[in-house]
Amino acid sequence: MIGYYLALAGRSLRRNVVLTILMIVAIAFGVGASMTTLTVLHVLSADPIPQKSDRLYYVQLDPKKLRGVDESPEPNRQMTLLDAQNLLKAKKADRQALMTGGNAGIDAQRPDLPPFPLDDVRQTTADFFSMFDVPFIAGTGWTAADDDNAARVCVLGKALAEKVYGSTNVIGKTLRVEKDDLRVIGVIDDWRPVPHFYDLNTDTYGKGDQLFLPFSTSLQINVGHSGSTNCWDEHTDAFAVGAPCEWVQFWVELDSKDKAAAYKDYLIAYSQEQKRAGTYERDPNVRLPDVMQWLAYNEVVPDDARLQTWIALGFLLVCLVNTVGLLLTKFLRRSADIGVRRALGASKRAIFLQLLVEAGVVGLVGGVLGLGLAWLGLWAVRHQPATYADLAHLDMPMLLSTFALAILATVLAGLLPAWRGCQVAPAAQLRSH
Amino acid sequence: MHFVPILSTLRRHKTAALLVVLEIALTCAIVCNAVFLIRNRLQRMDKDTGVAETEVVDFRIAGIGVKQNEMAQTVQDMAALRAIPGVKFVASTNMIPLGGSTWNTGVSLNADQTGATNSAVYVGTEDLVETLGVRIIAGRDFTPDEYQDYDAVMKEKVHYGSVIVTKGLAERMYPGQHALGKPLYTWGKQPQTIVGIVERLARPNDDNGADITDCAFIAPVRPAYTVGAHYLMRVEPGRGHQILDQAETALMKLDPVRLVFGKKTFAEVRAEYFKEDRAMAFLLVGVSVALLVITGLGIVGLASFWVQQRTRQIGIRRALGATRSNILHYFQIENFILATIGIVLGMALAYAVNLWLMHKYQVPRLPGTFLPIGAALLWLLGQLAVLGPAMRASMIAPATATRSV
Amino acid sequence: MLQMTQVSKVFRTEVVETHALRALDLEVTEGEFVAVTGPSGSGKTTFLNIAGLLEEATSGEYKLDGVDITKLGDRDRSRLRNEKIGFVFQSFNLIPDLDLFDNIDVPLRYRGFSRAERKKRIEEALERVGLASRLRHYPAELSGGQQQRVAIARAIAGGPKLLLADEPTGNLDSQMAREIMRLLEELNAQGTVLVIVTHDPEIAARAQRNVHIVDGVATDLERGPSLVKKAHA
Repeated sequence: MIGYYLALAGRSLRRNVVLTILMIVAIAFGVGASMTTLTVLHVLSADPIPQKSDRLYYVQLDPKKLRGVDESPEPNRQMTLLDAQNLLKAKKADRQALMTGGNAGIDAQRPDLPPFPLDDVRQTTADFFSMFDVPFIAGTGWTAADDDNAARVCVLGKALAEKVYGSTNVIGKTLRVEKDDLRVIGVIDDWRPVPHFYDLNTDTYGKGDQLFLPFSTSLQINVGHSGSTNCWDEHTDAFAVGAPCEWVQFWVELDSKDKAAAYKDYLIAYSQEQKRAGTYERDPNVRLPDVMQWLAYNEVVPDDARLQTWIALGFLLVCLVNTVGLLLTKFLRRSADIGVRRALGASKRAIFLQLLVEAGVVGLVGGVLGLGLAWLGLWAVRHQPATYADLAHLDMPMLLSTFALAILATVLAGLLPAWRGCQVAPAAQLRSH
Repeated sequence: MHFVPILSTLRRHKTAALLVVLEIALTCAIVCNAVFLIRNRLQRMDKDTGVAETEVVDFRIAGIGVKQNEMAQTVQDMAALRAIPGVKFVASTNMIPLGGSTWNTGVSLNADQTGATNSAVYVGTEDLVETLGVRIIAGRDFTPDEYQDYDAVMKEKVHYGSVIVTKGLAERMYPGQHALGKPLYTWGKQPQTIVGIVERLARPNDDNGADITDCAFIAPVRPAYTVGAHYLMRVEPGRGHQILDQAETALMKLDPVRLVFGKKTFAEVRAEYFKEDRAMAFLLVGVSVALLVITGLGIVGLASFWVQQRTRQIGIRRALGATRSNILHYFQIENFILATIGIVLGMALAYAVNLWLMHKYQVPRLPGTFLPIGAALLWLLGQLAVLGPAMRASMIAPATATRSV
Repeated sequence: MLQMTQVSKVFRTEVVETHALRALDLEVTEGEFVAVTGPSGSGKTTFLNIAGLLEEATSGEYKLDGVDITKLGDRDRSRLRNEKIGFVFQSFNLIPDLDLFDNIDVPLRYRGFSRAERKKRIEEALERVGLASRLRHYPAELSGGQQQRVAIARAIAGGPKLLLADEPTGNLDSQMAREIMRLLEELNAQGTVLVIVTHDPEIAARAQRNVHIVDGVATDLERGPSLVKKAHA
């Protein structure tokens, strides 16, 4: 019967082409706009590291003064260098890493490539790579000993390796960073967690870090700091150990909820110890959010992206109401046809199904067109000035969702018209001419 | 005209009538808010920075590796820049209005910095005020002896005695009083004296809140280019790009072991800062137009259907003496009634949507003036849409009354 | 075959109550040919609708081929209508978008026959009414009489036990009218019960039995000269 209904639907839709086109176009625009904005939202709010986002935790402490420039009751969003080094030494978590963003001048020492600024530098410690499952295509990261010794080593991103050397087979080569030479010990594959969860002070949706080096090394070779620095008291050098300034991030890996609870207790104990020693003024005020909690706390998804999604959905709603009206007129215009079919033995259910199939066909065609429009919309987004722009792509789940949305929405819109259509009384139509 | 028969006819075609009303209501709600948001964004993009925007260019440079004698190099750089024809003033500074990244600090009236106001801090060499072109409305610019070097202030805790504040900051710290000559704690244990007040100097960004958007001050502290990273120049209008290129050549010649990573006219800085607002405004315009078109076409469809359903009735009316105009007016009035109901609902809905936007996205309240505009727009749309079908209805021949097949 | 007991139909609006049928008793047995006559507004159309399961009676009992209709829901009624009844309307009521094959196909589709079965029945039905050569033509290409013949083919393709016709010759000239009546009588002769609603006395004269409905009440009339005289008066 479905085949029969499809044939009837095709015939009916061809009869009044203008009306059909109008319906399809309205659905397509509504679906296209909605899928464009939903895809962008989907990209922006995705879990950047789904395989372990519940085992990675961000550490927040509160070394601020009780009174002064910053009296906010919230713990700090970043850590002081002193606290970070203390926690690193204590090794209370399964893995831990200290890190912050950097910028440096890179001298490729090639006549055809003048020195260029690199803003995607990450100064960090050994555990970074294993904690975040960073994919290597050559070599490895460095060791804890390298951290202690401020070894002159570095890990490159694929793009940087290709830019400087023209290949990724560069283990052992040297890279001139600022005025010093670093030995390349590893090359990682294209790695771009979206959002850039481990450091939200640099480009949240940016292209990903390209140069990794030990934190201790970067301090010595004058790599600049990228990110935000907040000080709550007088200081001479914001980046000195013991300065009342927060500018580094500290992440830990804890394999179970119990370990997380234990680590939080440790942080509280540490804070109390600092208070006793006179370094902290406040009572322990710690937080240990996991990745998704940390992202939620920071409200990373731009308001504009959310607002645009709501606007698109509102637009879809109007398109659907429009479609309900148009389907209603389409079906009721055919009252005579429906009346005859009923007289010849079609049950209400049969007519309802037939009309619903017709709505579904409109939805399917609208979905195909809507997919095209969504693809076009995302192309426009990719040319937009936002940093996340180039991430706006339709992946398979979103593609299938587009069809599902179009068909579901149109069938939903078709329920009322189909119901009205099948109520057409067989008797009433026979006498009218 | 006869409202009652029109209303009773509509009651018999309840579903279609309700759909028209619903569609108009939703469109009204969305379009009213969309147009309001567009106006908001345009207003934001209209922000007055206080700067001589057509004459300011921003040059960003950093050294490679550790530098010695950075201050001496900075002085040499600025002399070279000043020598470029068309350059009127040069300053080394740490940031620029609408630049995006900012230095902020707490400013207060007491030494222990309690109850501090978050304020943007511009540090710069002697000509910063002239370079930016900000207007001093009280007091004066700094004198040469008031300046200190950045390193001295930070490392050796040398005190700087004066600040120039924005009118906004002055009014916030000393409401209703003359702030000129009064003390302000901006850095260190000793206060600075307010020696000048500028009308307006925008912050690099408003991430810290809209209520302190006017709070900024200028400190007479000279940063070397390695600290500040900005050389600002005030130039002859129209020659910005040319001068920026010449600047790059000149500075790289003086010391090639460094990197130029930004050359922008202020217009470009502004455009970059507001790019998302612009995109949003475009999107809203597109959606509004599309909505109006779709609603219009929907009304055309439903109205055509009604005309077709009532062909016999119309023929009978004509046979009984109704003129073409009578029929035309009938449908126009019917549409007007539906549009009115839809608009009333739509207004209520628009307010509800606005309340939700206010709560979730800090959008201001929808002003009452939007309602009559929205109403007029939708009435017009409805009448335009119904015109075609109504004219077709008026063309129905009276003879259809007698024909029964 | 068709058994109505005390069937009445009342139409209620806000203001007015119309009794289309009052306590109608009627029985039609296998193989009969009955003409239902009566003035306009007498209720004969309502009778036809109820007999054809197109409307429900307000009260009374109706048994079709032994099945009590009054208790059935829409699905069962539709099924019965599809399997047991064939309709022939005054204005043919063919679907203009579909060709003859697809028109006759409509009730067969709701029957659930296989493709082969449907094809066979359609071809046989068209053969029966003498239009086999026009299988793929459209109703608009046919004359009135031919269209009615197609409508009859559609009515009989499913092998119904009851043929209900509403003024089948009303829109035809006298020559075509005679042809149609001949066809219907042939079908009746082969065993299908034929009930024709008409106000044409010539048709009424050809029936075995006349049922006269006036003001919602039925009276059985024998075929006779008295009736013919009344009609001509």
